[in-house]
Amino acid sequence: MTTSAAEPLLALSGVNTFYGQAQVHFDLSITVGRGHIVCLLGGNASGKSTTMKIILGLVKPRSGDVTFDGASLLGLTTPQIVRRGIASVPEARRLFADMSVRENILMGAFVRNDRDGIAQDLDKMLGLFPKLGQRLSQRAGSLSGGEQQMVAMARALMSRPGMIVMDEPTMGLSPLYVDRVLELIRTINQEGVSVFMVEQNASLALEIAHEAYVLQTGRIVLSGPARVLKDDPRIRDAYLGGSEAA
Amino acid sequence: MSSWLDYTINGLIVGNVYALVAVGLALIFGVSRLINFAQGSIYLVGAYIGWVAVVQLHTPLPLTIILVAVTSAIVGLVIERFGLRPLQNSVRIAPLLATIGISFVLDQLVMLTFSPNPRALPSQLPDVRFQIGGGTIGPLDLLIAGVGLTSALLLFVFLRYSKLGWAVRATAQDRDAAMQMGVDVNRVNQAVFGIAAALGGVSGLLVGMYYNQIDTAMSLQATLKGVVAEVVGGAGNVPGAVIGSLLLGLVESYGVAVFGTSYRNLFAFLLLVLVLVLRPNGLFASARQAPPEPLTGTFIAPSRPVRIPRWALLAAAAAFAILPLLPVSFYVLQTLINAWLLGMLALSLTLVAGTIGQVSLGHAALLAIGAYTSALLSLTFAVPVGLAVIGAGLMSAALGTLLISPSFRLRGHYVSIATLAIGEIVSLVILNWESVTRGPIGISGIPPLSLFGHELISPTSIYWFSFGVMVVLALLQGRLLGSHLGRSFRAIRDDDIAARAYGLSLNRYKALAFIFGGFAAGVSGGIAAHLYSYINHETFNTQQSILALTVVILGGLGNVVGAIVGSVALVGLPEVFRIAAEYRILIYGIVLLLLVRFRPQGLLGTM
Ligand SMILES: Nc1ncnc2c1ncn2[C@@H]1O[C@H](COP(=O)(O)OP(=O)(O)OP(=O)(O)O)[C@@H](O)[C@H]1O
Ligand SMILES: [Mg+2]
Repeated sequence: MTTSAAEPLLALSGVNTFYGQAQVHFDLSITVGRGHIVCLLGGNASGKSTTMKIILGLVKPRSGDVTFDGASLLGLTTPQIVRRGIASVPEARRLFADMSVRENILMGAFVRNDRDGIAQDLDKMLGLFPKLGQRLSQRAGSLSGGEQQMVAMARALMSRPGMIVMDEPTMGLSPLYVDRVLELIRTINQEGVSVFMVEQNASLALEIAHEAYVLQTGRIVLSGPARVLKDDPRIRDAYLGGSEAA
Repeated sequence: MSSWLDYTINGLIVGNVYALVAVGLALIFGVSRLINFAQGSIYLVGAYIGWVAVVQLHTPLPLTIILVAVTSAIVGLVIERFGLRPLQNSVRIAPLLATIGISFVLDQLVMLTFSPNPRALPSQLPDVRFQIGGGTIGPLDLLIAGVGLTSALLLFVFLRYSKLGWAVRATAQDRDAAMQMGVDVNRVNQAVFGIAAALGGVSGLLVGMYYNQIDTAMSLQATLKGVVAEVVGGAGNVPGAVIGSLLLGLVESYGVAVFGTSYRNLFAFLLLVLVLVLRPNGLFASARQAPPEPLTGTFIAPSRPVRIPRWALLAAAAAFAILPLLPVSFYVLQTLINAWLLGMLALSLTLVAGTIGQVSLGHAALLAIGAYTSALLSLTFAVPVGLAVIGAGLMSAALGTLLISPSFRLRGHYVSIATLAIGEIVSLVILNWESVTRGPIGISGIPPLSLFGHELISPTSIYWFSFGVMVVLALLQGRLLGSHLGRSFRAIRDDDIAARAYGLSLNRYKALAFIFGGFAAGVSGGIAAHLYSYINHETFNTQQSILALTVVILGGLGNVVGAIVGSVALVGLPEVFRIAAEYRILIYGIVLLLLVRFRPQGLLGTM
């Protein structure tokens, strides 16, 4: 894998975010190159999920800019941003618990209108996530955590996004599922989807990422190619510092 | 007497009608966690549009139904777009209050357009009845059942097979996640308001035809029944709302069969309180479901209260105290006496709703308890009036707190529903407990106010008496707010989970707030009884509860001076501008709407 500077697909520049009086991001700048996997590392309450919400337009920054494919996302609502080609796997998956697995996956294609294409993609998802085949009519809320993660990923892919943002996709999964999820992220990426993921588990994330940023109480304290960061002793320090500060 | 089968059929038919209202409430609650108190007003609008269609335009029945559905849907869309959407980012109590304001405005508009007198709404169906088993059934029963079933089927198909229907279900389960799938939540809101309004309007039409009568009092009743059915079925649960409605219809019908017509509503509200207390998530909520808590945490607009210097307060009090010595008309004194009585009620409500965050919609019940206590003590037991008024305060404090205590574990919207229902129950008990309250006849010949044997008959003495009592209550409440107890109240309002974690016993503090607030309201009701000399079960009604709430919001929730300023403003300004009585409620509704939208912290700020 190369980490040569790719054309930026997503860029946050100089973002400052507040919840009421409390500032959560301080002059945050992150770029995700087209076709890359970029990982945002950080301890609890460092502002990782808020970064996802900024990208998706669920929270708006007080200053700074967010661009996707060269155009600013700031004036757009969440549904409009999704239609631009950004899909998400939210923190704790957030499936529609009382809808069936099939309905959940199809909800991912909400922005599309091509019936045949959607049906084909549903088959494709069942190829990618074979276990879901027998569970299609089951309530999504009754699945195991790992299965729910598969549904959330399939749901995100159904919109044929240019980019997927994922919030702690391995959280709460058994080691077996963690490996599966990481493998799937790599597969998705190889098919051309850029990935921005938030993780607490640095060593796992750095296995598959091209670049990584480390967030500590709202500030980027370290960034660079994943290969390089993997061996950087500071990553552990920054990391632990982040959790202690929380 | 009719057969049990007849009562069953009647119960199911009425239940069907409730279902049309309740399903709309459930859809709206599901999507936006809001109890739409304007649902009954749409039902009212539907009934009157139906009347215009049938009586004036002579439309055939199918066209009447379509006309009512479409017009009501448009009203629903307008409410959503202009009444509620602008409030999306405001405090969480705002949309609830807005629907109350909207309902006042709509009801009054209908009343002003069509007059409050009841009208006949003929059913356009042949008046025949078929024998089945031991009972009978008519074409209108079949129509209502047919409309109910058709609506249920259409709704099922919509939710299950249409794209917008999927969006509605997804939004109801997880709003943020739905947005992340590209669902436009505003369109979903629009859809549910349109559907809910169409169903509600048709329901009003059918009820009007069923009883061959419509009047403006239908509105609040429909909202209440719909809310009962919805909560019984589990808030936000659409099939649950249908079953809850049928159950409510049957309970009422059998209740009427056994006890008589005046008990119909009593059973409905007792069922509601029972469900709220025992199973707040409804009868059918599965254990896995998290309790829907629509209004947790701070929902009162945070603001810095306006500081009024002590000398200004003293000067204002002195000015009002010497006012009767100046050459002012009796009319002015009369108006201000009303303001002081409302002020006592507002002090009570601003403590309960503002300081401790329990938004009560049934506060007039405390007036009623006080008024009846004082009237009966002085009439039946010849207790001196001055003492009887104090007795009124004590009784309202004790009984009011006792009645509300089972609901202490409820939060947010549910407190409002419970207090509304308890308020209705108090009024219905007064109506039905004839041996004590003299039932529908009411109590007349209540002696005038007196103090130490001297009758207070002149407006001046009544003015001083009521003003003095209000000032004493206000001073006590001011002291209370500054004390440790007051701080604990506010801690519970702002974050009851944290307050509990600090070891505060929520129930005890809520009880203390209701005891203090109940006393003030009871005294106000007691004094009112002696001024009116006649009271009945309708003297203190929901309109007064909502008026008090408007006063309290106008002044700033929790703000003692604000409660009094709000009372003077809302009682006085219509007099100053000589607004005709029919328009006042309309004005109150508009004031409430404007406040919620533009100044939720009120004139003097929340505390
Ligand atoms: N809606 C909100 N309102 C107010 N504060 C919030 C809100 N959401 C998050 N915060 C605060 O912002 C800070 C950052 O939260 P965020 O969820 O972005 O952290 P995170 O890095 O994702 O943490 P975690 O690892 O626990 O998921 C935290 O201090 C949090 O308490
Ligand atoms: Mg997070």
